[in-house]
Amino acid sequence: MRRSFDASRVSMRVGFGSILLLALSAVHAVKVQLDPSNWGLEAGKACESCHAKASAGLTRQWRDSAHAAAGVNCMDCHQADKLEPDAIEHEGQLIATVVSPKDCGRCHTAEFEEQQGSVHAEAYSIISDRVPALAHNLTGPAMQAAGCDQCHGSVVKVKGDGTLDSDTWPNSGIGRINPDGSKGSCSSCHGRHRFSKAQAREPSACVRCHSGPDSPDKEIFEASKHGMIYAAQRDQMNLEADQWVAGKDYSAAPTCVTCHMGAAGKLPGTHDVGLRNSWSLNTPVSEQQFLVVLEDGSKLELPASATPPSRGAEIEKADGTVGKVKTVADPKRRRQAMSLVCLECHSKPFAESFMKQFDKVVELFNAKFGKPARAIMSELYDRDILTRLPFDEPIELIYWELWHDEGARVRHGASMASANHAWWEGMYLVGRNFYGRFLPEVRAAAGAEAGGIIERHVGSQELHGWLRDADLGNPILGFGGAN
Amino acid sequence: MRKPRLSLPITRPVLFALVAGGLGGVLLVAFLIELDRFTSTNAFCTGCHSMTYAEESYWQSAHYNSTSGIRASCGDCHVSEGVLAATWDHLMGTKDLLKQLFGPDYDDPAVNLVHLPEAAFHARQWFRDRKSATCSRCHELEAILGKRADTQAIHREETAGKSCIDCHINLVHRKVPSEETFKRDAWNRMVEEELGLGPGTADRILEGDVKAATP
Repeated sequence: MRRSFDASRVSMRVGFGSILLLALSAVHAVKVQLDPSNWGLEAGKACESCHAKASAGLTRQWRDSAHAAAGVNCMDCHQADKLEPDAIEHEGQLIATVVSPKDCGRCHTAEFEEQQGSVHAEAYSIISDRVPALAHNLTGPAMQAAGCDQCHGSVVKVKGDGTLDSDTWPNSGIGRINPDGSKGSCSSCHGRHRFSKAQAREPSACVRCHSGPDSPDKEIFEASKHGMIYAAQRDQMNLEADQWVAGKDYSAAPTCVTCHMGAAGKLPGTHDVGLRNSWSLNTPVSEQQFLVVLEDGSKLELPASATPPSRGAEIEKADGTVGKVKTVADPKRRRQAMSLVCLECHSKPFAESFMKQFDKVVELFNAKFGKPARAIMSELYDRDILTRLPFDEPIELIYWELWHDEGARVRHGASMASANHAWWEGMYLVGRNFYGRFLPEVRAAAGAEAGGIIERHVGSQELHGWLRDADLGNPILGFGGAN
Repeated sequence: MRKPRLSLPITRPVLFALVAGGLGGVLLVAFLIELDRFTSTNAFCTGCHSMTYAEESYWQSAHYNSTSGIRASCGDCHVSEGVLAATWDHLMGTKDLLKQLFGPDYDDPAVNLVHLPEAAFHARQWFRDRKSATCSRCHELEAILGKRADTQAIHREETAGKSCIDCHINLVHRKVPSEETFKRDAWNRMVEEELGLGPGTADRILEGDVKAATP
């Protein structure tokens, strides 16, 4: 891999970045470009009669769908070539149980291309080497199928006898590795077999995964003004509309889709859900991030602190393979895209100031807790005070929760305007953990070496300077006067 | 006066031959019936070790364990009804015996599993050729109710031109894909993974490498 810094090309790249954002986001409410003669396979017309009896529920869902109205039948999605690993013979037809994004992409080409390489499609690949520590060691492999993989996606295994391995299927995790090699699962958000537009536009489409201690986005949304207004005015959301452009087709409130994927004003919609995210928020320390698009259509994130790769450079992807860089979007462009959504309802200064409040929270987390904690952990490993094996020492669980749970809650809470999650469920707990659990555990683990380590990364830092001011008043706990 | 001669030359030896032949014929049919009955029993079929692998999955199936107490034997499904057809099937079945004696070592679990798909394809074709006739010994299409309400409707309305085997494969014995979608490579890898064999062992077994099965 060759990465060189070339100042003259950076501006070009930024320029490409803005084109890219538009190019990646195809026109809103993308209509299937194909002619109806491309679907309605003759072979699929016989399925309905039997399935109306054998699986009446799903048949009814399909009958109520836009697919059925357009004449799209079972075989249009479930058709398979006999050479496909998961092809099976069913009532004289060759079908596959798993319908992959590639299958959906036969008609929904634009969405497929946007989705491939997105942070959603890569949701399994990104964490695959981290899964065993929690799913196998700390708990047990059964948790991978029932837990991790249900959101991140499984590597669907087709057994030699043609059946799908129950350790990997059923699964509709969003980063599922499909037997045909494509990544993701459209049905993760688009519930089968109705595939309702309105359902996918609802915040509940995201809740299955974006809830709970590490990414409580459901709870955050509900606790925000956006969620408050959505709940009150849901009937004005025009959720069933064919086209759904914020500010034009609806203006009552935004949902998750509105800001992260939706069309707004001139901003086109996209099925690359991470496209507009300028920060990484689920890392030990947040970084602004470049979006690198590769020649093969896949994408990856690179920290803004790194030198952006030049066009044509070879770069390692999340799954370990190598791709050629096509173009790079810098974090500012990504923020601009996100902010365009805000402007449909808010003034520019309002949106900019909100983003500043958010950025400051992320920077505070980084500087006061994220970076010192990471530096301390690094030193504990380097000095062999801790074994490299994750989670065999209590401080590793404490550190994990500091950034992965509590730290993520602060950052998500601030990004989506839930004061409760930014503070009580977030930064307050980060502070409590850092001073009340993490540092005491450092002392317990490092013994005589602890003093020096803590002094280097915490005691000497201005953000922790209040610790030295023991004479400050204590009105909050009721001991001593105001300061 | 001359005794009137019988028009047919039924002499004592002829009479004896007729009686003996008739009796012999009855005995032969009885023998065949008994032979068919005996050679259709589970005990006979699994007398060869190679057949016990098929028995294991059969034990787990509803054809062995049914709440009604009806239990289908090997022959109930795999041997046609009627003494002539049954005798013919058994005659054809001697092919299995010859293979057992002179073919690959089917007693070995790896060899058995490697060759299973072809056996399954052959058996399915046998059922198809006979329009699943042996199933009808017990199952009456019109009488199928099923546990779910729609099972009856499916069997009445969706079965035109089909016989049981067209929908119901992998019912009793170990799962094998349809012949059309069968992937030898994936099957062999499964065999190796399941039996802890080195990579490529199953391919060598298939090619007739007898020693490959016993590392």
